[in-house]
Amino acid sequence: MRGLVIIAMATASTGAAHAADLSVVVRTAKGAPVANAVVLVTPAGGGAAPARYDAPLRVSQADLQFDPFVLIVPLGAEVAFPNQDHVRHHVYSFSPAKSFELKLYGHGAAPTVRFDKPGVVALGCNIHDRMTAFLRVTDAPYAARTDASGRAILSGLPAGAATVTLWHPYLKAKGGELTERVTAPASGRFEKAYTVALRTPAMRLNGY
Amino acid sequence: MAVRRLQTRLALLYVALFGAVITLVSAAVLAAVAANAEAVSRATLVSSGRVFDRLWEAQAERLRSGAALLSRDFGFRQALATRDAATIGSSIENLRRRLELDVALVLSPEGELLSAASPQAARIRDLIAPKLADETPFQGVVVVGGEVFEVFPAPVLAPDLTGWLVFAERLDRTQMRSLESLSPLPLRASISYRDGTGGWRMSSQGAERGSGRVSDDLWRQLDRAASGSVVARADGAFVLATPLPAVTGQSIELLLAYPYAAALAPFRWLLAAVVAVGVAGLALVVGGSWAIARGVTRPIRAMTEAAARLQDGESARVEVAGDDEVAQLGLTFNAMADAVADRERRIQQAALTDQETGLPNRLALEQTVARFAADNAAGAPLFAAAFSITRFAQLRGAIGYDLSAQLVRALGEDLRAERPDWAIARISGESLGAVFRARSLETACAHVELERQRMERGHALGEHLVDVKVLAGVSAAEGAGEPDLIRRADTALDRAREDGTALAVFDAEAYAAALARLSLMPELRNAIAGLEASGALALAHQPKLDARTGRICGVECLIRWPHPTRGFVPPDRFVPLAEETGDIRTLTEWVLTRALHDQATLAEAGWRLPMSVNLSGRLVGDAAFTDRLLELAAGAVGPLCLEITETAVIREADAALASIRRLTAAGLAVSIDDYGSGLSSLAYLKQIPADELKLDRSLITGLTASGREALLLRSTVDLAHGLGMKVTAEGVEDATTASVLTALGCDQLQGWFVSKPLFLPDLIGFLRAAADGPQEARRA
Repeated sequence: MRGLVIIAMATASTGAAHAADLSVVVRTAKGAPVANAVVLVTPAGGGAAPARYDAPLRVSQADLQFDPFVLIVPLGAEVAFPNQDHVRHHVYSFSPAKSFELKLYGHGAAPTVRFDKPGVVALGCNIHDRMTAFLRVTDAPYAARTDASGRAILSGLPAGAATVTLWHPYLKAKGGELTERVTAPASGRFEKAYTVALRTPAMRLNGY
Repeated sequence: MAVRRLQTRLALLYVALFGAVITLVSAAVLAAVAANAEAVSRATLVSSGRVFDRLWEAQAERLRSGAALLSRDFGFRQALATRDAATIGSSIENLRRRLELDVALVLSPEGELLSAASPQAARIRDLIAPKLADETPFQGVVVVGGEVFEVFPAPVLAPDLTGWLVFAERLDRTQMRSLESLSPLPLRASISYRDGTGGWRMSSQGAERGSGRVSDDLWRQLDRAASGSVVARADGAFVLATPLPAVTGQSIELLLAYPYAAALAPFRWLLAAVVAVGVAGLALVVGGSWAIARGVTRPIRAMTEAAARLQDGESARVEVAGDDEVAQLGLTFNAMADAVADRERRIQQAALTDQETGLPNRLALEQTVARFAADNAAGAPLFAAAFSITRFAQLRGAIGYDLSAQLVRALGEDLRAERPDWAIARISGESLGAVFRARSLETACAHVELERQRMERGHALGEHLVDVKVLAGVSAAEGAGEPDLIRRADTALDRAREDGTALAVFDAEAYAAALARLSLMPELRNAIAGLEASGALALAHQPKLDARTGRICGVECLIRWPHPTRGFVPPDRFVPLAEETGDIRTLTEWVLTRALHDQATLAEAGWRLPMSVNLSGRLVGDAAFTDRLLELAAGAVGPLCLEITETAVIREADAALASIRRLTAAGLAVSIDDYGSGLSSLAYLKQIPADELKLDRSLITGLTASGREALLLRSTVDLAHGLGMKVTAEGVEDATTASVLTALGCDQLQGWFVSKPLFLPDLIGFLRAAADGPQEARRA
């Protein structure tokens, strides 16, 4: 299904007169690929209307874990939290971008929440401390998430200056993200490689 | 100090050897026990330390779980996520109280202090904040203001890291006590840490109640130790130092002190037993060594003592037991002692026996006297008698040595047969001695006289019948005079010989006078020797008057001895003695020297007087002395005359006449002294080339002009004049005598009528007066 989206995007971008593709690779200092890193690109001249980065806008709970771990949420979009486990969950977030609570709901229920403020929303389950997931609420026109090989491709970028933001829940950086300005070529593919350091989240060490 | 006794040396050697062995063994056992004790104590301490670790962990778990509990509380997480400070503060205070915590605080993920429930919170935050950046949960200890805290930070996840909840527990004395109380061992727990300057300090909580006295010694051991737990020995205790997980990397150690006294208590009886066994063993060795050494050296010592007794002439035998080398030595020693005693007996016998007659000798008799004297029980006084055969030498010449000795033996054996209770001995060639007891001196004398007479009876010796005359002397033991008893009997015998009596008794007073005379000689010698310095001897001069001219025509030099204690000693007391002892030589020499000296003095004063010096009869014939005399006389400044008695010439006529001729040849005058007192030989008189004849005072005493004395004197004066001699009368005491003598033809007068003997200064005065005044006035 993801492959379909990419094909759709690629198809969409071919329509532009001048368009370039940005290929991003994120690795640790040891060369291990970093998945679930979010790349946001905002062209200097503004982009097209808010794009649909990811589909579907859904964070399900399966096998006592959120899926996916990271989800890019367009500003103002509504995200569903379907419970596919046979236990109940209590999904919450105290993040400033969106503080909410979905009190105990059972299998089959899929409550939704609208995210109308850009930022990071850390998700947890009050019953299952082990469960955690992150939403990146953004209004950037171009956004992509690295795959297991640490790669993401953003297609159809307009030529010229643009701001690129790299974010990961555990990224060791000021404000948790890296931002830089790039200049996109008129056409073709240009690459950007990141070497990052990640913090080890306390809960993993503690066995949460 | 050298040890000289063999016994002591042996004992010391044994004690040293066994003592060294015992000491080594004891020391080894002690060291092993001590090492074992220490090892056990250390092991016990380490295992106790492990118990402490678990207890520590259990306590940590309590705090950690408390922190974890709160950090997962939904409300707390919400409050923290929304930075609800009031709620955060109240909730941690609540939990702090519930868990009886000392400190609780909340930090943001960035380490900012969000809430604190104690004053130390800020400082604790400073210390742990660097560690929080890693988001790694940890626990550890920190030092704040001298107090040690154990901190337990717990992350608050909502669900991502939202902040830190930190609990801290003060490790104070109460904690230490509770740790101590959990151990079966009497341990003392405390905490020390290294401060900013690198020096060690005790945590202030741990230091209270005196449990924190730790010396630098322990610190040094901790500094040396690489890492991990260390068991050190310090301050009378084994100390287990376990490093605590310090948050800042600072060295913080939990010290568990196990006092030696407590640690080694189980071993104390063992140590005491080892020491006791060692001491007892040593005592046994000392005693045993002494006994063995004593056993070895006792026979040697006994033999040494016996040898000393042998040396003193006592009987000396040692007891011999067994048949070892020492016993053999003892037997040999005894044999030697017997041989020595036997030989000594024979020597003694020989020494106490007169070889010629087989009778006891004088020494034997002296020993008998000593024995008798010691045996006072007999009560009766002790006497000695000496019997002497007169003319024994002539008798021996007549009958021979063998028969004369046989005679002495016969006399002795007869005496012994008659008087079995007397001790008999031959005390000299011709004398027998006897020592016996009698009631009184009279009885003793009666017995001796009886025996003396018995001895004078005829004796048949071979074909000879010998009559002997025997003299006897008797002496009585009085007071402490026993050693001289026999000698005194001998002295009494001499008296009998001199007095011509058959028997004489020793006269102590007469003997004492003789002794006193004898004792005069050493003093005279001193007087002659010390003469120049002391002037003890002095020379007096008696002037001689020329009967015709009435002038002083010479002086006779007379020696004077004013003795400091005896008073004036008359020359007839000491001169004969000096003649006996030979001191007359030096005495005469002194007189002559002094006379010449005085003559020189007088000559200087204007009087040239002839000096007369007496020459002893003993020296007249002495050629050597004549040499000396001539040598001295050579220095005379005036005429010198030597007065010699006629008797002296008669005794050794040839030598005397030769000397006299030498004297006269040298120009010296010779005078015949004391003429008329002793023997006078006209034969000799004519041979003596004398210048002067001095009439003895005995011829002048009671002289009258018409008596027989006058007749004798006249013929003597004529005789002298006929032989060419001047006649000098001595002892002239009054004018009558002087005029009679002058009338009889005497040439010179000497005596108190002229002058008494004068010392030199008085003589000079006298000469001066005689020269000034008319002679007649003096005579009146």
